[in-house]
Amino acid sequence: MEGLNLLLKKLIRTASGRKRFVLAVIGLSVAMLLILAAVQIQADYNELLVSKSNQDSIANFLVVNKSLTDQNLGNTALSDSDINDLKKQPFVESIGLLSPSLFKASIQSNSDRFPFYTDIAFESVPDSFIDVAGKDWQWTENSPYIPLIVPNMFLDFYNFQFSFSQNLPQLTQQVVKMILFKVNIYGKNGMISLQGKVVGFSDRISSLLVPEEFMRWSNARFGKDQQTKPSRLIIKTKDPGNPQLTKYLHSKQLVTDAEKTRFSRYRQVVDIVVSVSWLSGAVMLAFALLVFTLFIQLTIASSKEEIGLLIILGASPYQLQKFLMRQFFPINLLIICISVIVISLLQFYTHGLLQSQGIFINVYPSIFTLLTAAILLIVIWWVNRVTIRSYIKKVN
Amino acid sequence: MTITFQNLLPIPLKDRFLQRSSDIWNTTIQFEESAFIKIKAPSGTGKTTLIHILYLLRNDYEGAILFDSNPIKELKDFELATIRQQKLSIVFQDLRLFPDLTARENIELKRILQDPYYPKEMIDSMAAELGVTHILEQRAGLCSYGEQQRIAIIRALIQPFSWLIMDEPFSHLDNENIDRAANLIDRECKKRGAGLMITDLEHDTHFYYTRELNL
Repeated sequence: MEGLNLLLKKLIRTASGRKRFVLAVIGLSVAMLLILAAVQIQADYNELLVSKSNQDSIANFLVVNKSLTDQNLGNTALSDSDINDLKKQPFVESIGLLSPSLFKASIQSNSDRFPFYTDIAFESVPDSFIDVAGKDWQWTENSPYIPLIVPNMFLDFYNFQFSFSQNLPQLTQQVVKMILFKVNIYGKNGMISLQGKVVGFSDRISSLLVPEEFMRWSNARFGKDQQTKPSRLIIKTKDPGNPQLTKYLHSKQLVTDAEKTRFSRYRQVVDIVVSVSWLSGAVMLAFALLVFTLFIQLTIASSKEEIGLLIILGASPYQLQKFLMRQFFPINLLIICISVIVISLLQFYTHGLLQSQGIFINVYPSIFTLLTAAILLIVIWWVNRVTIRSYIKKVN
Repeated sequence: MTITFQNLLPIPLKDRFLQRSSDIWNTTIQFEESAFIKIKAPSGTGKTTLIHILYLLRNDYEGAILFDSNPIKELKDFELATIRQQKLSIVFQDLRLFPDLTARENIELKRILQDPYYPKEMIDSMAAELGVTHILEQRAGLCSYGEQQRIAIIRALIQPFSWLIMDEPFSHLDNENIDRAANLIDRECKKRGAGLMITDLEHDTHFYYTRELNL
């Protein structure tokens, strides 16, 4: 077999058209790198979105309400169809309605040494949307106090602004959690006073939250009769940076915390980078394959007489195909191997670079990158084979 | 393997051949295994055409050729390759050596195109018998026509076959060389139990022919 290949090598010169060959090899290499890089970037980005170590729990919950304009003042309730439509969107995992309190309320210090008083309103959401709900987060009519969850922001506001202006002491979360205070509720039959206590701090929802049981009970008992429709709701989503979500909210004139959807900008940039890389990679691949095919054709055409005579002497088309594949295919294999190695090195380097910034991506290239490389290898193999086959047939 | 011609007529020469009688054209004739056939054909009677049709280089003919009972027009590419590697060996009138390969490489190529029938030492032994040892390492294109003819004969004998077809194989050889070549050919055919089909312009006594035909 070796002897035959040596003789065939002497007869079928692959040296003609060197320049074209080098061009084809360079083109294929760049195309391969671009395509594999596109796949790897996409894979890394997806990993950043879903992996635990990178998950930003606040960002996955979005409080949504209608954007308030001069036209819809006093009419910001969300209709059932709005809510149902939102539920159907692929980027929404679940929806919770925020119920506001329908009565006037205030909180007030129990102690004269540390006086404070403020009017407030509450909201409640289903427990599954609360990140700090513990065993204290329960309320029955017999409970000694109403548990509250307070936005961190409120405490910051108190500690770093209010306390200075009122000459009050600064308070840690632990201290705040120990303070019992009065919760005054003003109903149809006058005011009643209950006890309240902060049981947790959250960044997720910027409202004073009370348990849903308490909200139902108090609204029924003290609320004005009207049934109000919810005007705010909370969405749980896998990817608040999803440009689709931002686009949807915008089209429905809904707003949410813009900071939380900031990822959608980055995401769009990544999307553009990935698609440009894809597209240019695909175009280059097409051209490189074309040039490579031309090179194969040229080789066969320039050895047309030799191939013809070989077939006359009894060389089977299969023998010649096998020989030609052995001449052309290994370089492709090499190109793909080198591309995969380069991508792996880049991934390793990027891993190190991002790690120092607290962003974690896999140190190895993604399985999809390797799969893509394998698929491209098959495509190239197939193109080689078909070209060689059809041109040998033409010579025959 | 028997070879059968059934009303064979090359289309380009059809009108001319219909007007004269021939032992081969437009008739049915069968060649048994191991037969030694001489086809005598003056110039212009379609000698090379016949060889090319038989070797499947052209198919612009009417009628049919059967190898055993199989029409050769129906052979697939790979079947044809197998036949040329195992069953049919040929010496073309125009020899068809690769001019850029050495004489030895030309023969070696044919030897290893299939599972070798002979070890490679046989090349030297045959070359010695035909007196071409000194040109084995020379490019075939640089050899004289007579030398090339002998190389082509060795190339045809180095492979397995059940029919050896030769188109004016001795045209450029002197009598002494013809005798040596004919001896070798005769021996190789007998060894394989193979048939021989040889075309030439004149009557000759190089072999004991089982049949002599006029084209």
